[in-house]
Amino acid sequence: MSAPDADSGGGSDPRFVERAAARMLDASVLERIAIAAGAVASALLIGLIVVGLAGYDPFGFAGDLLIGAFGSVGALARTLRFATLFILTGVAVAIAFRAGVFNIGVQGQFIVGGITGVMSIIWAAPYLPTGPLGGFLLIVVGSLAAIVLGGLYAALPGVLKAYGGANEIITTIMLNFVATGVVGWLVAGAFGAEGATATRTERIPDYVSFPSVVFSSPDFSMIAFALMLAVVAVVAVVMTRTSFGYDMVTSGHQESAAGYSGVDAKRMIVSSMTFSGMVAGLTGAVFVIMIQGYYTDPTGVGNYGFDAIAISLLAANNPVGVVPAGLLFGALESAGSYITIRTDVPVQLIDGIVGLVVLFVSVPELFRAFAKRTGLGGEER
Amino acid sequence: MTPNTTDEPPAVRLEGITKRFGDVTANDGVDFTLERGSVHALLGENGSGKTTLMSVLYGLYDQDEGTIHVDGEPKTFGTPRDAMDEGVGMIHQHFQLVPPMTVLQNIILGQEPTENGLVHEDGARGRIEEICSRYGFDIDEYLDTPVADLDLGVQQRVEIVKSLYRGAEVLILDEPTAVLTPQEVDGLIDVMNDLREDGRSLIFITHKLDEALAVADDITVLRDGEAIGTVSAAETTEQDLARMMVGREVVFDRLEREETDGEPALGAEGLRVRGDRGQEQVSGVDFTVREGEILGIAGVQGNGQSELVEAVTGLRGVEDGTITFGGEDITDTSRRERIESGIAYIPEDRQTEGLVQDYSLVRNALLGNQTIEPFASGGFLDWGEVRSHAEEIVEAYDVQPPDAENEAGSLSGGNQQKFIVGREIEHEPDVMVASHPTRGVDIGAIEFIHNRLVDLRDRGLAVLVVSSKLEEIQTLADRIAVMYEGEFIDVVDPDDVTEEDLGLLMAGQTLEDGPAEVEP
Repeated sequence: MSAPDADSGGGSDPRFVERAAARMLDASVLERIAIAAGAVASALLIGLIVVGLAGYDPFGFAGDLLIGAFGSVGALARTLRFATLFILTGVAVAIAFRAGVFNIGVQGQFIVGGITGVMSIIWAAPYLPTGPLGGFLLIVVGSLAAIVLGGLYAALPGVLKAYGGANEIITTIMLNFVATGVVGWLVAGAFGAEGATATRTERIPDYVSFPSVVFSSPDFSMIAFALMLAVVAVVAVVMTRTSFGYDMVTSGHQESAAGYSGVDAKRMIVSSMTFSGMVAGLTGAVFVIMIQGYYTDPTGVGNYGFDAIAISLLAANNPVGVVPAGLLFGALESAGSYITIRTDVPVQLIDGIVGLVVLFVSVPELFRAFAKRTGLGGEER
Repeated sequence: MTPNTTDEPPAVRLEGITKRFGDVTANDGVDFTLERGSVHALLGENGSGKTTLMSVLYGLYDQDEGTIHVDGEPKTFGTPRDAMDEGVGMIHQHFQLVPPMTVLQNIILGQEPTENGLVHEDGARGRIEEICSRYGFDIDEYLDTPVADLDLGVQQRVEIVKSLYRGAEVLILDEPTAVLTPQEVDGLIDVMNDLREDGRSLIFITHKLDEALAVADDITVLRDGEAIGTVSAAETTEQDLARMMVGREVVFDRLEREETDGEPALGAEGLRVRGDRGQEQVSGVDFTVREGEILGIAGVQGNGQSELVEAVTGLRGVEDGTITFGGEDITDTSRRERIESGIAYIPEDRQTEGLVQDYSLVRNALLGNQTIEPFASGGFLDWGEVRSHAEEIVEAYDVQPPDAENEAGSLSGGNQQKFIVGREIEHEPDVMVASHPTRGVDIGAIEFIHNRLVDLRDRGLAVLVVSSKLEEIQTLADRIAVMYEGEFIDVVDPDDVTEEDLGLLMAGQTLEDGPAEVEP
């Protein structure tokens, strides 16, 4: 493990600080990767020190982390399962951030996509054949419905921002609560399963699932993982090789230049929010088809949409970069669940390490702001 | 203004102030002297360095070279608070008031009188009322009203009282009339006269000639960051000032002019356009540009040229009137439709509009072209085509350094401009709209860009050029429309007018026995 460049060496020499600042200001892709790796390494190191100070064996803890994330076929499947969802939601966040709009509502769109996926499959099942063909068709139906509803649910704050001037950060956060509340109410009432002991919907039919292919885990499928990679590829191609993507990324970089080049700023806000919400909605469908099979009260489905913000940040909002970042978060999440069950180290320590990773990743940004203010490492403007 | 015959030093003296941002020199060795008890206008176009110079005086920027003297003493102001402590106050173009707080709270903000550690608002009331009655301000009746409920003229007086409350002897007013109605401008001028009579010294930043003449004792003209000269308001005229502001650094031979009987290409009728603040900036403009001619629009900046150009190119909505292109009404078409139909545009602001600063030139070559073949087809981009296009522009338009992979922001202003001009010309447009096409560009590049625009005209394109540089308009244009306060005050033949005539027109006056008008 190597510390990030800025951490090594004496910070007292002003010329060194200046050079480091200059390097940080125009970090290339490779350097960004180095910064991310350095941040992760530093966070793990500090996390282990904290574990040691808390009276646990840090080396044993480090070993448990590795075992929990990669130590068995089951652990690896669990890591990849979490990673699949983290990467998809991370891509959803990255799309919006790159376009210069802040979609904090990926969690809500993920919930809307999930309930839509379950209910559309349940409703459509009687009209389609059973067996593998029916399963495939229902996956398509459920995913498309989730994409549409997730997109619409994100379009709403987009419209509010573009045509009503409403701050999308506030509206998307608020719509997360709305999604959780309304879906919880539906699951407890109109969509609730008859005779079920817990608050949940009916199950989707057994034949509607992704075949697991490599791992014999009931909750993870390489097909879903491959689907996720395909989504990443499509998003990356849209962003870098289409007119729409150029419009979108240019709007995020410099809105006035985008307007000069013929981009309608208001429509672009709505389109990029919708695009982001579509991916979030699809993630909801993948979650229910691959893992859950039904829908519960949304307070219990996990915080994929919120962790996605950190993942996108770690990846500098690059959809391809989201893949390694999501794998890392998947591994940490997976190790966390292992440690909770197998050891007496509290899971909060894992959450703390995730928090440290985010903190260290955001340090270069703080450093940039600081360097700009003090004039170190380059002129302002 | 009576000359300062006493031994008292001037209120403010700036010597050789130079301020650079990167490789842009915003102020270049500027000298400036504010006599005690006088109003000194700082006149210049947008971007001429007026606000930068005053920000240096007010402690917002550190100068790279030069010294500041206040009351004869050399001073260094690290922050605005240092400047305020020495009695220098600044009223910014955008007011620094907290809208939900009352007038009284805003005035005392940062210098609250306290009693037992708590803010004691009434302790300040008496002093504020005294300041108000001394200068005849009416704001004492609004002391407990939230600032948000007041109109802009009153808010501005609140700002002035705030500075006086802090003991400002020198007041800098940054374009104070920009947000005011004509009646409010008259009120402000009265206030400035009262402040002067009371012995305060005022710096009045403006680009409006008549206001500078109406209120100032001395006028210093800035152009491209340099102080062109200081004149006494009593001994100068609007024409002289207009000429000083607009300048003529380079004298070009007049390029060959052609009579055209081409078809009308681009036109407007009864065009009315509002500005960013909602005020009408273009008030009923008619014009036609024919194929094979250059129509120049001259005027001091801020008289509606920017809004006119934005309306024509599709970046700004139209309040009333029509815009036609090739005989068709395009008033309601989008910016993108206008680009695709062949209207090219060299924008006024290359930094924020014309280029994405942190994109490479290759990626910038696509800006505006992203839906046009061969760079895009079926929604997908062909980066190979874009790259060779960018390399062609860099080569043909002599962009330095000659590497299309460079970030746009790393190029000098002149090279950025050459790249934009190249990109827009290579669009193969039918109409070229060029706004200040050579602003901040070095002499060689100016000539190059002018020749390219004339080539376009000779190839039969209709060209619309907006510039506030008289010699540029006179060099390029086949007809000159002079814009003043949102209207075309006159349309003239460049061969029939002198620079003095144009200066007079730009200052809003008519040529009494001037040349015959040309058909607009």
